[in-house]
Amino acid sequence: MGFLHGLDGVERHAREAEDASASAGFLQGLDPRIKLAGLLALVIAASLTRSLLTLALLFSAAVVLALVSGISPRRLARQAWLAVLLFTGALAIPALFLVPGDELARLPLLGWTVSSQGLRSAAFLLGRAETSATLAVLLVLTTPWPHVLKALSSLGVPVAIVAVLGMTYRYIFVLIRIAGEISEARRSRIMSRMNGKARRHLLFTTMAVLLGKSLALAQDIHLAMVARGFRGEVRLLHDFQTRPRDWTFLSAALLVPGLILGLRL
Amino acid sequence: MTDNAFHFSGVGYSYGPARALDNIGFTVTSGEKLALLGANGSGKSTLLRMMDALCFPDGGTATACGMTLSATAFADEDTNFAFRRRVGLVFQNPDVQMFNPTVMDELAFGPLQLGWSTTEVRREIDNMLVRFNLTQLKDRPPHRLSGGEKKRVAIASVLICKPQILLLDEPTAALDPASKSDLVSFLSRELGEDRTVVTATHDLDIVEDISSRTIVLDRGSIAADGATLDIIHDTALLQRTHLVFPHHHSHPKAGPYGKSHSHIHEPPAKATPSFDFDHGAKD
Ligand SMILES: Nc1ncnc2c1ncn2[C@@H]1O[C@H](COP(=O)(O)OP(=O)(O)O)[C@@H](O)[C@H]1O
Ligand SMILES: [Mg+2]
Repeated sequence: MGFLHGLDGVERHAREAEDASASAGFLQGLDPRIKLAGLLALVIAASLTRSLLTLALLFSAAVVLALVSGISPRRLARQAWLAVLLFTGALAIPALFLVPGDELARLPLLGWTVSSQGLRSAAFLLGRAETSATLAVLLVLTTPWPHVLKALSSLGVPVAIVAVLGMTYRYIFVLIRIAGEISEARRSRIMSRMNGKARRHLLFTTMAVLLGKSLALAQDIHLAMVARGFRGEVRLLHDFQTRPRDWTFLSAALLVPGLILGLRL
Repeated sequence: MTDNAFHFSGVGYSYGPARALDNIGFTVTSGEKLALLGANGSGKSTLLRMMDALCFPDGGTATACGMTLSATAFADEDTNFAFRRRVGLVFQNPDVQMFNPTVMDELAFGPLQLGWSTTEVRREIDNMLVRFNLTQLKDRPPHRLSGGEKKRVAIASVLICKPQILLLDEPTAALDPASKSDLVSFLSRELGEDRTVVTATHDLDIVEDISSRTIVLDRGSIAADGATLDIIHDTALLQRTHLVFPHHHSHPKAGPYGKSHSHIHEPPAKATPSFDFDHGAKD
């Protein structure tokens, strides 16, 4: 069943991310708050710049950060670049033709023209999206999810949002397991091969059971929080420590959007 | 102050039209080790939730540590807070209870909500990690642990708040025999003399180790209340309350006929015996 295989994929992906974040590397060694702030500064820089060269340099910097953190370009391509190319590409291609300007090329048959301005804006669109996605994937791949949450909350993101994000993450695993158990229980009972209609029926009833179970689970999780003194506000333990290299990284990262703004790069 | 941890009298509870508890009455003195024994669906979890003020009686009166268990009383923040510091419940399903990203956060959750300082919380976490043999697991997400490890974390995350009263819902459910015996010996060692401990279970193997007194629940009512040793040897009572079953089985190398056969070891109970060990189970 595709739906359940999809869920399996989510879990495998999360596990891979946990393994990558546990291995040694430059970004893995940084304080998560610093890393979050620094990578965010680079994302901002990518959206501020008016120069394709600067954008290319930022993209290269992201790739270098990946390499010194033990993340291969192949992995980046698989987890970020291809998806962004598909989604943003769909937006960028019309820009090629729609932005008016000096004619660069003309499509045979259709007669649509590509302007140099159109090419430029498509390149910006794609370049910014690819750079930002790479930086975001770097954060997720080099930081255990709980630390991302803690970093968010210590940087002032409201505790309620952090708690909801945290629950979502935990929840997914429990739900995937329940889904897996249900489908296994069903499969073991089903002897003959099912036709399409029967399979759809199975999918719907599985989802209904899953929904019922997850509502009951949500209720129980809430009770379990109340039982331990929860009164609407989650408090978290913070135990991040910054070292000199954290500050070096942050200064360097903050310098980039600063320079771009100051020197109009 | 009262010496009673709990006093229930004529207590009832319904989920909609379904009666889950009926005319429940008992007194638990401080420091007592009590087992709530009952088949699936007999009302153990509901009763424990009520003892933890997560649901309230819809008939009769109930107190815990001298505090009245009622929705109106617990609408008061201070009452709620005072109660949560004294009473802790370990849920049956550890996945429900462990909603934090790491084992360490899980342990920190209760104390932080109760307003402990972070230094105090940290010191106590270190203490619990060692006591519960969890030090290597402290940065792991709880959902990636084994069943036995999850149980240890769940219990540690409640005990860290040092509750005077500990409520355990089926602590050995879903554990393999080795983890089960580890957990039971751990519990009998760590729970201490002074703490009141109420354990819900249907596992006859463990009651003797974890309690001196047993209340038997059957379909929402108290079927028996007495010394654990008396109760676990009362076969008629255990059969009547669906805790043991007369069973059919075969003897592979049986008798002069050299053939396996089925027979009944115990006379069947009056009601048609059910062979579904999981009847009434919700999950
Ligand atoms: N949330 C609920 N909604 C409706 N009925 C419930 C709920 N929880 C338990 N029950 C019912 O109440 C009865 C007692 O259940 P429970 O207290 O969970 O028993 P036990 O823990 O002994 O298995 C059962 O018949 C069960 O189906
Ligand atoms: Mg139960």
